[in-house]
Amino acid sequence: MRGPRFLPGGVLRRLRWILVAALLVLAGVAAWFLFFWALSVGVAGYLKAVQFTPAKVAFYADSIRKGAEVTLKLTVISSTAGLVLGLLAGISKLSRNPLFRLPATFYVWLVRGTPLLVQILFAYNGLPYLLGPLWDRLQPLGVPPIQDVLTDYWAAFIALSFNVGAYNAEVIRAGILAIPKGQWEAAQSLGLSQAQVMRHVVVPQAIRIVVPPLVNNVVALLKDSSLAYTIGLFELVMAGQRIISATFRPVPVYLAVAGVYLLLTTVMTFFTNWLERRLQLRGA
Amino acid sequence: MDAIIRLEKVNKWFGPLHVLKEIDLAVAPGEVLVIIGPSGSGKSTLIRTINRLEPIQQGRIVVDGVELGDDQRSIEAIRREVGMVFQQFNLFPHMTILENVILAPTRVRRVPREQAIQKAMELLERVGIADQAHKYPAQLSGGQQQRAAIVRALAMEPKIMLFDEPTSALDPEMVGEVLDVMRGLARSGMTMLVVTHEMGFARDVADRVIFMDEGRIVEEGTPEAIFSRPQHERTRSFLHRILHH
Repeated sequence: MRGPRFLPGGVLRRLRWILVAALLVLAGVAAWFLFFWALSVGVAGYLKAVQFTPAKVAFYADSIRKGAEVTLKLTVISSTAGLVLGLLAGISKLSRNPLFRLPATFYVWLVRGTPLLVQILFAYNGLPYLLGPLWDRLQPLGVPPIQDVLTDYWAAFIALSFNVGAYNAEVIRAGILAIPKGQWEAAQSLGLSQAQVMRHVVVPQAIRIVVPPLVNNVVALLKDSSLAYTIGLFELVMAGQRIISATFRPVPVYLAVAGVYLLLTTVMTFFTNWLERRLQLRGA
Repeated sequence: MDAIIRLEKVNKWFGPLHVLKEIDLAVAPGEVLVIIGPSGSGKSTLIRTINRLEPIQQGRIVVDGVELGDDQRSIEAIRREVGMVFQQFNLFPHMTILENVILAPTRVRRVPREQAIQKAMELLERVGIADQAHKYPAQLSGGQQQRAAIVRALAMEPKIMLFDEPTSALDPEMVGEVLDVMRGLARSGMTMLVVTHEMGFARDVADRVIFMDEGRIVEEGTPEAIFSRPQHERTRSFLHRILHH
């Protein structure tokens, strides 16, 4: 614990965090490439085993790998944005100030009350019309036309992150409400400010409560991202459809596609179970 | 006498319920004040107004020369000087005992960590649970948790300590160890407001006892006066019920 004398403890602790974070990112990138390499090898083996034309197997396997990568990438960035949106909306819903509470309540109501498919179609087909006039004013600043920005990929990203954000908001609101009033009172009676109570007392305890349902939402998001197929995004389902059109062999291809989804969700479930065990209170 | 706490004509309502009625109270520095009364009489609410866990609708509260208002800065300033101990301990379950104790000194008073730890260990030693410093609250007995909660409040070096039924949630055999700590604290000259049903403690330690009923201070005086020669019928019947059950 004790570092060199010229470095105060705080600086040392921070440096260690940065180092750990950098290592984690590195390990994540390595795991990503390793996973998708193994996936394409596995899929190729499967396609060979179910007697696809040997000359085409490598191409099909690579196509499924690409689709799976798009699906996972879209899930990762949408759930990250959805987490931020969920935090903002969840905390705003608890605010006494109606300027925060009402827009957040409206957002959650709107998103949870309409089908995701409609939201995706709206983001892709509707948003360019809606934002177009405003966007055109930005053209002199060198902004590319909206059709080039709101591609199928980014339209899906917007719809999915707003969608999961609304579900996350409810989870986060419930997590904060689950912290007993006595915890707030004890922290406040010690002179901690509202922000300090949140940061040191409420959020660390709420995280333990909200992580499992939040990961649940991400698992649902991973599966729901397949709806982006309808706006022409080349993701896992689309990859499968293309192979079926070329080979007329729906059964083995759908099995492969479903298998990849199952693999991804299973990995996530293992991860949450592990996280849940780690977050258990000691002695509780 | 220069009061360290002064309440003037304090009124509070919970919705239509009038829970504090025209409360006037002055507490001298170093005084130990014990508040007794039936449940629902407003005694917990009364001490919770002093650090603004409960806002009031009418009247004035002045603590250590600062008038309690709506402004968050002044509320936080008063809370730094007023420690509170709760019936349910309210330790932070995700932190060790030591982390519980040093949180406010390091974050609010900006005491260097090493110094806060040293001070915390001294206090934990004083209440006899230094060996529990690195455990989590759930690993401690109720009596140990409440002693840790007292230390957590004391670590801020408050001028006033509020105790809200500190022994009511404890198994009977653990009540003594908590009361002993409170006795020691009273002897050291701490200003204390204690809501309790422990009449033995009130008799031994209190400088003054207040009896509350239905949101009013019905009667106040020395422990001797209240327990031996209660003036009001309501005080008499309450003491009779609590002492001869």
